[in-house]
Amino acid sequence: MTEKIQLSPKEPWIELRTTAEDWRNADPHLLETMLGQMHLIRAFEETVLQLAGEGLVHGPAHSSIGQEGGAVGSIVGLRPTDAVNGSHRGHHQFLAKAIGYVTPNGLDVTNLVNAPIQEVLQRTLAEILGLAQGYCRGRGGSMHLQWKEAGALGTNAIVGGGVPLAAGNAWAQQHSATSDMTVTYFGDGAVNIGSVLETMNLTAAWDTPLVFFIENNLYAVSTHVSEVTAEERLSGRGTGFGIPSWRVDGMDPLAVHLAMQEIAAHTRAGKGPAVIEAEVYRFFHQNGPFPGSAFGYRPKDEEEQWRGRDPLTRVANEMMALGLIDQQQVDGVRAQAQAAMELAVNQLLEADPAGKPGARKIRAELWPSTDFVNVGVRGDASELKGARTAEFATHPGAKEEVRFVDAVAAVMDRRMETDSRIVVLGEDVHRLKGGTNGATKGLIEKYPSRVLGTPISENAFAGLGGGMALDGRFRPVIEFMYPDFMWVAADQVFNQIGKARHMFGGDASVPVVIRTKVAMGSGYGSQHLMDPAGIFATSPGWRIVAASNPFDYIGLMNAALALEDPVLVIEHVDLYQSKGEIAVGDYDYQIEFGKAAIKRAGKDLTVLTYLSMVSHSLEAVEQTGIDAEVIDLRWLDRASIDWTTIEASIKKTNAVMIVEQGAQGTSYGSWLADEIQRRFFDYLDQPVQRVHGGEASPSISKVLERAAIARTEEVVAGLKNAAAGFGKN
Amino acid sequence: MATLIKMPEVAAGATEIILSKWQVAVGASVKVGDIIAEMETEKAVVDYASDAEGTVYKILVADGASVEVGSPIMILLGAGEDGSAGDALLGGAAAAPVAAPVVETVNPPVAPPVAPPVAAPIAPAAAAPAAPASAGSDNSRQFVSPIVRKLARERGIELTQVSGTGPQGRVVRRDLESFLASGAAATPTATASASSSSALAKQEYSSSYVTVPHTGMRRAIARRLTESKSTVPHFYVTADCKVDALLELRKSINESSPIKISVNDIVVKAVASALMDVPESNVVWNAEAMHKYESADIAVAVTTDGGLLTPVIRGVEKRSLSNLSMEIAELAGRARAGKLRQEELEGGSFAVSNLGMFGTKKFTAILNPPQSGILAVGAAAPRAIVEDGEIVIANIMTVTLSADHRAVDGALAAQWLAAFVKRIENPLSMLV
Repeated sequence: MTEKIQLSPKEPWIELRTTAEDWRNADPHLLETMLGQMHLIRAFEETVLQLAGEGLVHGPAHSSIGQEGGAVGSIVGLRPTDAVNGSHRGHHQFLAKAIGYVTPNGLDVTNLVNAPIQEVLQRTLAEILGLAQGYCRGRGGSMHLQWKEAGALGTNAIVGGGVPLAAGNAWAQQHSATSDMTVTYFGDGAVNIGSVLETMNLTAAWDTPLVFFIENNLYAVSTHVSEVTAEERLSGRGTGFGIPSWRVDGMDPLAVHLAMQEIAAHTRAGKGPAVIEAEVYRFFHQNGPFPGSAFGYRPKDEEEQWRGRDPLTRVANEMMALGLIDQQQVDGVRAQAQAAMELAVNQLLEADPAGKPGARKIRAELWPSTDFVNVGVRGDASELKGARTAEFATHPGAKEEVRFVDAVAAVMDRRMETDSRIVVLGEDVHRLKGGTNGATKGLIEKYPSRVLGTPISENAFAGLGGGMALDGRFRPVIEFMYPDFMWVAADQVFNQIGKARHMFGGDASVPVVIRTKVAMGSGYGSQHLMDPAGIFATSPGWRIVAASNPFDYIGLMNAALALEDPVLVIEHVDLYQSKGEIAVGDYDYQIEFGKAAIKRAGKDLTVLTYLSMVSHSLEAVEQTGIDAEVIDLRWLDRASIDWTTIEASIKKTNAVMIVEQGAQGTSYGSWLADEIQRRFFDYLDQPVQRVHGGEASPSISKVLERAAIARTEEVVAGLKNAAAGFGKN
Repeated sequence: MATLIKMPEVAAGATEIILSKWQVAVGASVKVGDIIAEMETEKAVVDYASDAEGTVYKILVADGASVEVGSPIMILLGAGEDGSAGDALLGGAAAAPVAAPVVETVNPPVAPPVAPPVAAPIAPAAAAPAAPASAGSDNSRQFVSPIVRKLARERGIELTQVSGTGPQGRVVRRDLESFLASGAAATPTATASASSSSALAKQEYSSSYVTVPHTGMRRAIARRLTESKSTVPHFYVTADCKVDALLELRKSINESSPIKISVNDIVVKAVASALMDVPESNVVWNAEAMHKYESADIAVAVTTDGGLLTPVIRGVEKRSLSNLSMEIAELAGRARAGKLRQEELEGGSFAVSNLGMFGTKKFTAILNPPQSGILAVGAAAPRAIVEDGEIVIANIMTVTLSADHRAVDGALAAQWLAAFVKRIENPLSMLV
């Protein structure tokens, strides 16, 4: 007979309900403020649905009507320096945070709307309509509402996508000597996605002050929570990660508020994250002005029953029962909120004389200018102005020979020494005497709180880095042990980090560096051996640098760490153990922004290459005797690449070959070849030539791996092919 | 039905036409025969009339654009159609191989050295734009790299002379450099390119001259006359004409007539009369057959700022001197203003080139294809001649006929010249 021992979770799981006593004890001004905020949000959302019905809202309008209680109850007690972010259904949380920010002393229901509130309502509505005066200049719309000044970090259209970013913000708060916290809102549909669960685990491990606020409205679009999970009490997720968890009636704002007070006491004390599940109900369908029952996935009597628990009515009734307000005043609150929305609408719309009677249209002058479309994909790199730049050939100092990987660790050491904002994170970066390759050697000993060994959760720790960067108090350096792991973290890398600046209006800096190493030749097989340059080069927002020698690495990493944009720094295992000369003791220069290096001058063919293929190309040129000009691009993305040097070379040689090591499909050279033929067609004497790997991802078998990639021999073949294009004269 | 209007081949063999100005705007209603645009060929400005009707949906090229023959230029929508019909057409057109040949030298504009499968219509009356060239009929396409095409265009090099040694026989930069270095480009068009071979190699120019970019007209003159002089067998017949009677007649006409007749007008008339007197000479060589004309359609060389133009005067034999004089003056005026129509530059079996006003004594002219004769007229001046055994002074004008030996033999040319001399020395015979 086996022995059975009953186990219980480490942390408590509590359902909190209010009593009459709680209502009696509640601060009347708190109740007044919550009632006023909920009415403002309700009137706002009704207006959005009305405009959507008139065809004036481009894209979906995810209404929060019915869910105001959870947002207001949880945010009303937050500090201005606390932060929130949310999902596609985020108007209510955004407004609660923004209104709370502009009215730090709460609301007065007899004089509900002051000028700052009116401005919040109008600018939020303008953003949802896609207008220039919106918080994100109309780019974000309904699903990407951001007002950082108010602590509204930005709502997110990828389910669960904002959660890792919120963790980064919370990490920054924690490590800036504050007791501030971040609340991340998501729905029942998001509790089953990796970003959320990874982040719960990571923040619990690190005691990060993040509150996971689950708005359980029972339906992910039309799918009921019971259809997709066995534990429908979604706060149950928390205890599995060692996170204390609360469950409350989200239609009772006071219950939410009281639970959040308990959570704040826990989280602000440095005890780590909390989970809170609020049962709520959206009165309408996923989006648009029709109830869910109209689409047949839920019954009308269920909707009736939940409407009977309307949080606005609940608070008004409780307050009337306590003699704090009368029905006439409650009606007056609603009337004031509706009047404020009418005023906001009138600022943005006008009668449409071409439409049906009563038709309205957006005032034409309020749209963003279409020439704004690509502004702010990245910053303008002006932050690099005035930096000291250097090149090996002209550096006056003494030189010494070092291993490439030691230069990687040394420049990071130097920057962490001079810039306390820099934080290194990734798998095993704190162990093995410098991570799996020695690239972070010596850092953990000198900067123990700034070298973070992460769980194997690329989405969570990439997003955490992104959130730190968006916060701005830290400059994270994320290591991906292998480039292919970017696919695991693809949402954070491409949807979040890469797009954040542009999507939220173009101004926000995103100073994050991702380091990774190309490992072709190491035998790690099909899922570890890609070159990520092509994917990053064709995704918006990223800058890319790649060094072929230690001197350039130091200067490129310094530039990458100084830039206010996300930068991918690509390394190569073949280079780590290679030796090269650097300037003794100088780890402070930058390689000039956007400057390629001509490694060998020539007149017959321009070879454009980077990383380890620079030395393979030079070898191949010597072997063939072709007078090729070999250019080490160094800066690879389309906004940083050195067109001046490329143009001069192509106009001289009239022939160009792009050399890279990796697979054809995701190759870097494809976009570059396209751009070259557009820019220099009339200067070409032959097609843009390419050297790259095969279609297949490199296999583990040594001979198949070699056959799948390009090295010196493939460059020799490419050079001969290009030479055939010279003709016989 | 929506119609895609493509750039017509306004002038025979043209590969690019400048659409100088649209005469209709988007939304305009167009009927068959309405003028929709003004086109500029190498030598003329042409009003282009629509051969379709509809409403202008899209204009695809801007005023002043140089457009390949066959490229779409405008979309007309039929009654009741919306833009999608037009857009659909455009989608198809982009994929269809209607564009002019990539290598511009494949189809020389006039008298191709290799006979086309069908004789080109050369009847002067056939002034309507010719049917689109059968560009696809020639499958011996020459492949040329972009940089070579650019250099050849800039330097006026005929790439048909350059053989390609690159992949698929592509002409690559080194082929062009080798060609230039060999001096093989020493043809008339290559006067520029001979000097440009060093320019190509060194990317620098001598300071002893300035480069003047070629105009379309200059290129056309170079191309056509090179082709004429190198492919048409010229021979020359010269005669002195005594023009005292002519000058006397001209003086008396001009004293009484409001229209002032020039010596050249009378020369043109005499050329027409001689063609009537010797009808076997009024012929034009074509690959399959000789074309024999009944009417005397004579081209007159006009010097303009941009270069030489040769408008054709039709039916000179039927015109009075005054009518002829007005016609020549009118065409010359429009030639200088750049307002000639393409059809006014086409056809004719004979041309007159007169340098007498510059005092030139005698010269020879290059035939203007497809014409088979051109008369080079020098200045009329008093000279000592022997007449009836006596030395006397007479006004003498020396003329030289250049003839196309494929069409006209020496004896026939001599007969024609004798007829001309007879007419010019007895000008009254042309007035009756």
